[in-house]
Parts: sequence; C-alpha cells; structure tokens
Amino acid sequence: MTVPRPPGLPPIRAGYLPGIGPDEVAWEVLPFVQGGARVEVAVPVLTAAQMEALADRVQRAAARHLKTMTVAQIIEVIDRAIARLLDRSDPFRRQAEALLPVVSGYDAEMVRLGLTGFFKTFRAPQLRRFVAEDFANPLVLDGFQPAPKGGAVRALGPGLLVHSWAGNVPALPLWSLVCGLLVKAGNIGKVPSAEPLFAGWFAQLLAEVHPPLADCLAVVWWRGAGAEDASALYARADTVLAYGGNESLDAIRRRLPVTTRFLPHGHKLGFGLVAAAALDALEGPALARRAAWDVMRYDQQGCYSPHVFYVQRGGAVAPRDFAGRLAGELAQLQRRFPRRALVVEDAAALAHWRQGVEWRSIPGASGEAAEQLIGTPDDAWSVAFADGPRALAPTALQRTVQVVAVDALEDAVAAVAAQKDYLQTAGVAAPPEALYRLAALLGDAGVSRVCAIGAMSTPEAGWHHDGRFNLLDLVRMVEIEPSAEAAAEPFAPYAD
Amino acid sequence: MPSFAPLDAEVLSFIAQDGCTDARFDELALRLFAHQYAANAPYRAFCQGRGATPRSVKAWSDIPAVPIDAFKAQALRCEPAATGERVFMTSGTTRGDTRGRHFHPRLAVYDRSMERNFAERFMRGQQRMPMGILFPDEDAMPNSSLAHYLALAKSTFGAPGSRHFVGPQGTDWSGLWQVLEAAERTGTPYALLGASYSFVHLMDALRPQGRAFRLPPGSRLLDTGGYKGQSRELPLEAFYAELSQALGVPREHCVNMYGMTELSTQFYDDGNASVPSVKSGPHWIRSRLVDPVTGRDVPAGERGILVHCDLANVNSVTTILTEDVGLWADGGFLLLGRAEGAQAKGCSLAVDEFMRATAA
Repeated sequence: MTVPRPPGLPPIRAGYLPGIGPDEVAWEVLPFVQGGARVEVAVPVLTAAQMEALADRVQRAAARHLKTMTVAQIIEVIDRAIARLLDRSDPFRRQAEALLPVVSGYDAEMVRLGLTGFFKTFRAPQLRRFVAEDFANPLVLDGFQPAPKGGAVRALGPGLLVHSWAGNVPALPLWSLVCGLLVKAGNIGKVPSAEPLFAGWFAQLLAEVHPPLADCLAVVWWRGAGAEDASALYARADTVLAYGGNESLDAIRRRLPVTTRFLPHGHKLGFGLVAAAALDALEGPALARRAAWDVMRYDQQGCYSPHVFYVQRGGAVAPRDFAGRLAGELAQLQRRFPRRALVVEDAAALAHWRQGVEWRSIPGASGEAAEQLIGTPDDAWSVAFADGPRALAPTALQRTVQVVAVDALEDAVAAVAAQKDYLQTAGVAAPPEALYRLAALLGDAGVSRVCAIGAMSTPEAGWHHDGRFNLLDLVRMVEIEPSAEAAAEPFAPYAD
Repeated sequence: MPSFAPLDAEVLSFIAQDGCTDARFDELALRLFAHQYAANAPYRAFCQGRGATPRSVKAWSDIPAVPIDAFKAQALRCEPAATGERVFMTSGTTRGDTRGRHFHPRLAVYDRSMERNFAERFMRGQQRMPMGILFPDEDAMPNSSLAHYLALAKSTFGAPGSRHFVGPQGTDWSGLWQVLEAAERTGTPYALLGASYSFVHLMDALRPQGRAFRLPPGSRLLDTGGYKGQSRELPLEAFYAELSQALGVPREHCVNMYGMTELSTQFYDDGNASVPSVKSGPHWIRSRLVDPVTGRDVPAGERGILVHCDLANVNSVTTILTEDVGLWADGGFLLLGRAEGAQAKGCSLAVDEFMRATAA
C-alpha cells in the first residue's frame, strides 16, 4: 500500500518488541487524518517464527523477573509509571495528549480529561483495592498461604497471557495489561488499528521505570483477524483475553486449543433508569447534565456508555422535559468537547437511526407510541423521545440517545431483559429502597454493574468487568492439601 | 378511482425525448412531487416533518429523499392496491427479515425505462442477439425486479433460442456449455446476463474442468447486484479478470448494471477495463452525493451517500436516499460499496451487529 508521506516526518512506530530490532520486521503504515493534522503510524508485521520467538522470550522473562517480584513491588512499579502518565510535563504524557486526539478523532480536551480520570484508577491505593477485591489475602499471589480448611494455597497467573484489544477508546488496553502484570503473567497484546499507540508506550514506560520488566511484555499488531502470525501466538497462550464484537470473539475462540482459557468481553449496551422521585425541580436538571456527560464521553464508544434512558412519569420534571434538558446539555457539551468528525459510514449509520425515528414519529405509521426527534440534522447530537414503551436497542452512538417515558421502572427492566447477553452497565437514579429493589431485578435481567448516572462511563477501580473477576479469572489455584502436609511429617530429619 | 394514466403518458414521452434541459427535468420532477405529496399520506407526513411542501420545493434537488428503509416500514404508493399490480421486493438479506416493497400498478413506464436505456447501454445499436440468463425466471420469482428486468431483456432483445439457465433444479451447466460452444463454433456473438454471484458460480463450475471459452467478438456480459452472500466474495479486479479469462470476453464488454428494487431506472458502466468503473444513467434520472445526516451535497472530491431522483418512479417516490457510498467521477459516479459495513470501532454495541444477532 502506498501512502503519501508528509515531507520529513517518519511514521511513528507502534508496538513493543523486546529482542527484535526494527529492521528485522516488516512495517505497515496506518494514516490518521483529523482536520488539518495528519499522523502516520507504522505497525509491525511479524512472521509466525518471530511471534513464537517473542512468546518464548516474554514467557521466560516473566518467569525470571516478574514472578519473583511480590505483588506489592509490582504495584509500586505500576504506580511510578502511572505517576509519570499523570504528570502533564512528562514526555510520555505529552506524547499521548498530542497524538491520541489525532489517532482517535476525539476532542483533545476530552482525551486529556479522560486520560487523567482513567490513570487515577491505577495509582497504588486503587491497585491495592483492585487486588483486595479479588483476593481476601493478596499474599496468595506471592506464595503459599494457609487455607482455612487446612493445608495451603497459592494463586498462579498464566505463563503467557495474550490480549486482543479492540476499540479506539484511548489507553483502554491498560486495564487488562495491569491485570496481567498483577498476576505476574508474561503479556503479549495485539493493538487494534483504530488506536495502535498507547499500549506500546506503556510497555516502554514500564521498562524505563523498572528495567527488569523490559522483556516481560510485548505489543504486536496484525491486520484483521490475522493469519499464521496470530495463530502462532494464540497457540502459545495459556490464557487469551479478548475484546470485540461477538463475531470476532467467536473467530478467536474457534482457533484456540480447548485447553486454553478464553476470556471474552463482547460489545455491550448501556442504559439508565430515572425514578420520578429523582426528578424534582432541583435534582432533575442536574441529573440531565450528568446523563449528558455519560453520553458525551468518547462519543458513546465505551461498553458502559448509555444508549437509552428510561424515565418515570410523575416527577416534577416530566420525561419529555428530561429529554429536552438532556438535549440542551448535549448542546452545551458540544461547545466544550466537540464530537469527532464522522466518516461517511458513521454518518450513514447515524442518518439511518435518525430517519428510523423520523418515520416512527409520523402518526399512525407504526403500532408503537409516538416518537419525537429533538435537535436538527446540523446538531452534533440527537435525542429521540418515545412517549411509550420501547425495547432496548442500540442507538447510532456518536451522541445519539433515546429517552423513553415509563409509568414504572419495573417496565423498563422488562424492556431490557430481552437483551440479557448485551447487558452490563445500568445507571440508576432512584431513592435507596428503590435502588436495591431495582438492582435485584436488573441483576436477574443480566446487568452486572449498577452505578450513578454521571458515573456510567467512568467505572471505578476494582469493578467487575462484565460481572467477572478481573484477576481471579486469570489465575489457577495450587493447593497443598492437609494430607500432603501430614504425609510429609515422617520424612522430616527431626521426625521422632 | 382517479386515473393516473396521464402522468404515465407524460413520463413516457419524457423518456422518449433525446435528453432534456435542467428546467424540463425540474418541471417533471416537481409535477411528480406534487402528485406524490398529495396522494401518499406517509410521504406527505415525512415531507412536512422536513418542512418541504410543493410550495417550498423549487428544484428536483429540494425533494426530500426517502431512506430505502422506509420501503420496509411503509406502503409508499399513490394508487391503492389493485389486482394485476406487480410488487417488487428487496431480497431482505441485509437487515432483519422485513423486505422493502415497491408497488407498480402498471409496468409500462418501468419497462420503457429499462428498454430505452438497455438498448443504448448494453445492446449498443444491436437489435437482438442470443441471450443466456443466469437467473430464475419471473414465474419462479414474481417479486424480484431483477427477474423481471432480465425477462424483459430476453423478450425484447433476445434472438430466438435465448433462454434461462437457472431453474428449480439449479443451473443447467451442461446446457450452457453447449450453447457457449455453439457460439464459439458459429462465431455468433452471445450475451450472458445474470446476478454477479451467478458468474462466480459459473467460474467455480469451469475451474475444476480446467475449461475456458473464447466467445466470438461482439459477445458481452452483464452482471448485477453483487454477491449477496450467495457465492465467495471476489474483489472487483479479480472478478472481472477471472470472468474475462473464463469466457474470452474483453473486460470493456463486461458491463455492470447498478439497479435497486426501489428504482425504476438502472445505471450502467461502459465496461470494466478498469475498476471501479464510472456509472451513469439516462436523462430521466439524476443523482446527488450527500452527507446523509444533513442531506447536503458533499464537497467536491469527498465520498458521499447516493441520492437518486428517478422520474420513472411514478407511483412511489421519485427521490430516495440509498445506503451506497459514491464519489463523483468524469461522466458519472464511482460506486464504492455499501455504507452499512461501517465497523464499530468502540466497545459499544453497534446497530449492525445487533441486527445481525437478533435476526439470527
């Protein structure tokens, strides 16, 4: 593929390949253009043999350097790396702030705020909480610990953990990479073409902060589903953590040996529930503002991003007013954090969604309750209001959101239950008693995370992604049963 | 029941003209718009939502474009249902299982539109020639506009002996090989027409035999509609290279037709010596390239979504918003594929994946 290059600017190299020189691999150039800015990113293309050598090297290094560190030491190293990423004068941080907006297309200020909020969840106290969330005694990651039932137990991470990252929410690979480090796995991650940069930078930064880690992780790339290169890597993995649509996850699963642990995270569909009690004259408008932030962050590209808000009738702010306020807040946010420019495919999807609402707004056009589109085609956001029941369905993203009026929030739970495979985050604004009642119903329906509206797109440290254990799912337990202990006693040199 | 025949007659005489001025095109487009606005309630409501009325619409490009999905949700028709009408339906393989419907109380305008254009762009002055159709006939697929189009090609332009090769038992390959051999032997130019995937099947049937034909000069091929998941997917370049190789027809005589169930007029290229080829239509259809969200024309040199204003669409709506990505080129437009394949780049569920999953 020939790509015209800006004069004098070599492409930025993505990936992180310990033990492999830049001249030893082929590079493919991915161009990114946003407005006047153009960035070219060169991504490495490895042969199957190189992939195997890399897998061996990373696994060996992790066994020597990572498995011999305590979790406390690993946390301390990650904390130092994160401190540098939080320091706006640090070269790594500056590079991220300069390039990620161009690569992802997101507004620079949105990226800056998003990165800071995200990195804060990986500081030492948060990481300790993260570990404590999964391990009552985190020392099981460092060695055998007495088990309450007798004997001893320890948790071992995989020798080689392979990550297949997706999405262009900047820096997202940090989640699973940190998980892999905390369980002392050798890590090799495949970056998506949409955001190929951050993971490699983080690997470099870790190597700088703590040089023995230099060979314990690698960042690679392949086009699409990959060919022999991908197969070679997958064949070496003990565990594969993959993000993406169900079709691509299925394609990965089908090429793994049955003995390889596979941890898929598919695309999700977030939504919010707003009780009438939360819609008084004071709280209602504030709630609409927080809802708008959840919609605005990364233009709804997160698995936790809301598509639909179900709003109960009977509050001081009526559902239609809530929709109007939400639209007003989105208009405000557009001034501060403009939506990214849409390619024609995205625009077509957005138009398709808007036109669907438009046709449904024609009286008598469908059997369903009337729908209404708020905002003009020139607005960089859209709110659709439905004055009657609507099943949960994805919007066109890019700040398009549906508000549905309901008589009772239990009706909304029924509306989302049909999509249980796609549920994860539900934002809830309701009084405490209703919160617990709804959470129980939502949990039954398939939801794994209930949070405040306004916090939907900023999950907290230690959350259970898709209701799973981030760290526990990665380890296997090794037990010394009491029988072995007892049987060992007679062989002690001091045995009577 | 009001009679719409005068409007049919007007469109027929427009088609019969040699070209038209911008003013004449606008004039007929606005007459059809006023008619459709008055006679088609859902369309009127849609236009009112867009703030478009016969008073405010001054040119064909002002006519609100109906997204093709609306043909699924609505009966977009001016005349009430009647016996003897033809209903063409979309294949319904792309999104869910609802099929778009296009109602034709009469086919006079459709047929005239097809014939006049086909004569010029495919027959290129030839009156009739022997034809093979790689597609089922109208009895097998009464709701397929392509089946009707191909049957019309055969009946109007096919020499005696022209026939369909796809029947209830599948494709009659041995019959086809015999006909192609005969054409080679006699030197009589032959025309083979069908769905793009039928030609892939043809190549797949020939390959194991290590066979290829060298059809006589003047022979030509017409493919249309893409692969629709019915065959392996070939890039355009490979498709025409292999096709030309398999049948011995030069690529400039391998014509692709771009048509839609929602239209009554087709677009053609002048062969596929290089791809993507430039597509163009006759004087009674005009196209725009728009930003699908705002409906405004895209700046020169940028990709946009195709809008077509087809004056042969008398009973439905003249102007539709497609899901096809296009780019202006000298003499027409390049067709760059469907926009619905947009890859979701985030981790949020996108509509396309959702629709595929829920349709399964």
